[in-house]
Amino acid sequence: MGIVEKIVQLRDEALGRIAAAADLESLESVRVAYLGKKGELTAVLRGLGELSPEERPAVGRVSNEVRDAIEQALAERRAVLEREALEQRIAAEAVDVTLPGRRRPLGHQHIIHQIVDEIVDVFVGLGYRIAEGPEVELDYYNFTALNHPPEHPARAATDTFYVRDLSTDEQSGRLESDVLLRTHTSPVQVRVMERQRPPIYVLAPGKVFRRDVADPSHLPQFTQIEGLVVDEGITFGDLKGTLEHFVREIFGPERHVRLRPHFFPFTEPSAEVDVSCAMCNGEGCRSCGGEGWLEVLGCGMVDPNVFRYVGIDPERYSGFAFGMGAERIAALKHGIPDLRLLIEGDMRFLRQF
Amino acid sequence: MRVSLKWLKELVDVDLPVEQLVDQLDMTGTKVERVVRTGQALERVVVGQVLVKEQHPNADKLSYCRVDVGAGEPLRIVCGATNFAEGDKVPVALVGATLPGGVTIKRAKLRGLESEGMMCSARELGAGSDASGLLILPEDAPVGASYAEYAGLADTVLELEVTPNRPDCLSMVGVAREVGAVLGADVRFPEWDLATSGEPVDQAVSVSVEDPELCPRYTARLIRGVKIGPSPDWLVERIVAAGARPINNVVDVTNYVLFELGQPLHAFDLATIAPSGGVARIVVRRARPGERLKTLDGQDRALDAGMLVIADERGPIALAGVMGGEATEVSESTVDVLLEAASFDRASVSKTSRALGLISESSLRFERGVDPELAAVASERAAALIAELGGGEVAPGIVDVYTRRVEPRPITLRCARMNAFLGTSIAREEAAAILTRLGIAAEPSGDDLACVVPTFRPDLEREVDLYEEVVRIWGMERVPSTLPDGRERVGGLDASQKVERRIGALMRACGLNEHIGLAFEDPRRVELCGFELGPDEQLVELLNPMTSEQSHLRVSTLTGLLEAVSRNQRRGVGEVHLYEVGRVFRTSPGRKLPKERTVVSAVLCGAWDRQRWYERPRPLDFFDAKGVLEVLLEGLRIDRWRLDASEHAWLQPGRSADVVVRGEVVGWIGEVAPRVLQAFEIDGAVAALELDVRALARASAAVVRYEEIPRFPAVKFDVAFVVPREVEAETVAFAIRSYGKPLLADVRLFDVYEDPRDARERRLPEGAKSLAFALEYRAQDRTLSEDEVRSVHERLVERVCAKVGATLRA
Repeated sequence: MGIVEKIVQLRDEALGRIAAAADLESLESVRVAYLGKKGELTAVLRGLGELSPEERPAVGRVSNEVRDAIEQALAERRAVLEREALEQRIAAEAVDVTLPGRRRPLGHQHIIHQIVDEIVDVFVGLGYRIAEGPEVELDYYNFTALNHPPEHPARAATDTFYVRDLSTDEQSGRLESDVLLRTHTSPVQVRVMERQRPPIYVLAPGKVFRRDVADPSHLPQFTQIEGLVVDEGITFGDLKGTLEHFVREIFGPERHVRLRPHFFPFTEPSAEVDVSCAMCNGEGCRSCGGEGWLEVLGCGMVDPNVFRYVGIDPERYSGFAFGMGAERIAALKHGIPDLRLLIEGDMRFLRQF
Repeated sequence: MRVSLKWLKELVDVDLPVEQLVDQLDMTGTKVERVVRTGQALERVVVGQVLVKEQHPNADKLSYCRVDVGAGEPLRIVCGATNFAEGDKVPVALVGATLPGGVTIKRAKLRGLESEGMMCSARELGAGSDASGLLILPEDAPVGASYAEYAGLADTVLELEVTPNRPDCLSMVGVAREVGAVLGADVRFPEWDLATSGEPVDQAVSVSVEDPELCPRYTARLIRGVKIGPSPDWLVERIVAAGARPINNVVDVTNYVLFELGQPLHAFDLATIAPSGGVARIVVRRARPGERLKTLDGQDRALDAGMLVIADERGPIALAGVMGGEATEVSESTVDVLLEAASFDRASVSKTSRALGLISESSLRFERGVDPELAAVASERAAALIAELGGGEVAPGIVDVYTRRVEPRPITLRCARMNAFLGTSIAREEAAAILTRLGIAAEPSGDDLACVVPTFRPDLEREVDLYEEVVRIWGMERVPSTLPDGRERVGGLDASQKVERRIGALMRACGLNEHIGLAFEDPRRVELCGFELGPDEQLVELLNPMTSEQSHLRVSTLTGLLEAVSRNQRRGVGEVHLYEVGRVFRTSPGRKLPKERTVVSAVLCGAWDRQRWYERPRPLDFFDAKGVLEVLLEGLRIDRWRLDASEHAWLQPGRSADVVVRGEVVGWIGEVAPRVLQAFEIDGAVAALELDVRALARASAAVVRYEEIPRFPAVKFDVAFVVPREVEAETVAFAIRSYGKPLLADVRLFDVYEDPRDARERRLPEGAKSLAFALEYRAQDRTLSEDEVRSVHERLVERVCAKVGATLRA
């Protein structure tokens, strides 16, 4: 057999083995067997030097052709095998997409603070800043400067928690202390007006305390959100418009708002604010007790006596204030049947919201 | 305040349906809490006429009747009464009626004959005590009409919530005036004539007020020769509708006038008052130590010195404004009545009523304030009624000690300012009309209204009070809604409020749920935990706690969180991850207000989750809490911090530390001491932390400066140091960092190894541990060669070994 025949035979052999290679590994061994350093074709090519100069060009050409053919066949086969391998891997890697994802449970914000933050954001959008005050307060800020007469029933020890006053040695009668747990967030109004001149646009969320035994509709500690605006030319219509905006932001744009005249010592005129029941839209149904309306907050124009306590001229400035209970809003908006759920820390409750 | 619609309609025209009236009252500031229809108990009782009355064939004492009830066939009714005849009209309870006694009428067979209803006696209808026979109605009673309606028993009672500023609305006349203003209707005020005769009152009665501060006015009238007896039906009906119980004509009249005009009155039996120099001498004074009074409700009460009493020579005979005494009350044998109409201080009545736990219609009104001007008027009204109903003659004159006179109050209402204040354009005439109907004189004066507020409206003191009167009647719903247009207003959260929000978001990102705990604390729990208080510090004490478990304010939120963990476990929830941001309190002698501090705290108990397909539950421990801490501080951009191992009574020794940020201790972290867990009945470990929010806010970087992202590759070496067990990892890491400058870019602890206690072959010396670090060297300006780094690294390792007493792990 001449050298050319030998080369052609090698080619045929190689192409046959390439086509038969079942995987990339055996394909690689075919490549090594023919084109590797010790490969058969390599050996043949290495022997070209021993040929006569007349034979060399022809044999050289044939062997180059053969090498190219084998390389091309290898490349084509590799592409096929790689594609097959990828397809197999993909098939093998298919998962049950309905299995739950890997995760750590997400933490949830308490529903009360979600409501507070939501309301804060509404009023920040209206240009309000957030004010804070102490939870242990002086009678002066909680009652006196808010125009509560000395005999006001809210001052009674049955309603308000009093705190031992350590600034004086003689603790005259047990309940004579003028230090107390604030019963509303309204004292923050007074503190803000004492330290800041108008214009004042503030919202004051915070904890408040009343001597109520915890039951489905009462807690001894709950959360109020107080608003105060003092500026030149503030009108009762501004109060109304502000609260309408607020109620629609929090309860939904289709809800109606009404102001019912009421009495609070620190506002004049005063009103309670009702929002139309989401279930019946004011018609009256079981969820609103047939009223059609749900009371959500109290409000009014700042009483001139309050301005007098903080040295703001009621002839020059006017203002409005409003206050609401976050727990009540939570109960109305989310159908929470028992307020005690809010302070128990039950994981199953907290993770619902 | 209970308002009978029937009574109201006599005072003012109410032409609209009850629902609309209720609505209008609601919307003008008089909240109607309940609408009660009385006479409903007598539903299905109608006026019937006996057509046929026959002897019952099977019973001597029964009759068998046909009764026309105005609809359908006449009913067949078996009846036991005998006092009626054919043609009589009687009340008939139809099948299905439930009578006041609770009996429900059914179709029944009586001695073989079917009976389709029942003819009723007065007693069966709850209309009296007469059970001797059927209640025979007048001939003109309309057959088929509802009996309750026919007999005038049907009424609607509105229960009003009267706000504390409106004492005038605690009377029918006051409510009528309000309703008149709301509906634009005229009010018919009650009128009376008083005839007097005999000796003038001051011949028989003297009054001395020792404490005019507490008793601005005291009046007394005398009605002689009264015949005590039951009151007429119309009066009983009204006071019952208003919520009182009929007693006798004199007492009923005092109640009637109280409801009608709002003036509490008291009637004394003159004969029971100790005479002094021939006259009954009434003294209004404060109670003396040790004095007692048996009040009308039969209770013998010890009086506090300082309570205002009405007294005679012998001692107290009534608690001023609260309740009369039993010894001087009007009884069947009373002949002469001394009628008191007075005005007492609000606070004094309120204090007495609360101290004795005694609330009466009278005290309720005095607490809100009763117009002193009303006393003489109401006294006259009551005297006239008593004389009318009980006979007797009213003595001429009135004893009237009126020391602190009240006057109508002039106020100018500036219409332009009112409209500017309300955001309205209410015409002056409209405002004047509203005020006038409310009883406030309002005369035009230039552009304004010169108003005069009557004494029955003590709540109207300032101009703005009149604005409210106008706008609430005019209609708050008519006020145009606007938003303030203040120009200098900028909204937003301040830095610490933003940090507080961020803290919450980071805790939730770690998987923690927010808890809101009560601020109250049980001092025994503080002692159990051993929370540290400064040398002078103490707990904040409540003077009137609701329970001994809530007698103080918390110094840490941990106790509340542990209580929540325990509660979850009791309810079968074993995985508890909670955080709280809230205030804690402590105080010290000399302080009025305590120190309030906001803390963020967390507890972790159980695993993160129940078993999942990809993961087994692993109980959380110290390092899970530390992981939370790391996320929190990273998220707040706080970089210079460390943990110092420390001991706290409430934490397990060896698993607790102080959190130190920039050299300042800002809180603690650790696993809760087993002793504390046991007291809270918690199973398994609880890892916890508590940090001061203000301190975190201060340390939180406002602005982070950009650092160049590495452009050149790092050269990495791993090294494992073997050190004594008690050497802290941070000590080694700190040494590595300090010797690694400037090329060392990153140090990461990737393995901690100790021989297991029961290991057969030891890989490390006794009492040693191995800490393996991955070190990355990098230059900012070039690619480092491995050889260059190797020499640096080897020198570093040698120096670290020397510094911390380490050897290299083989």
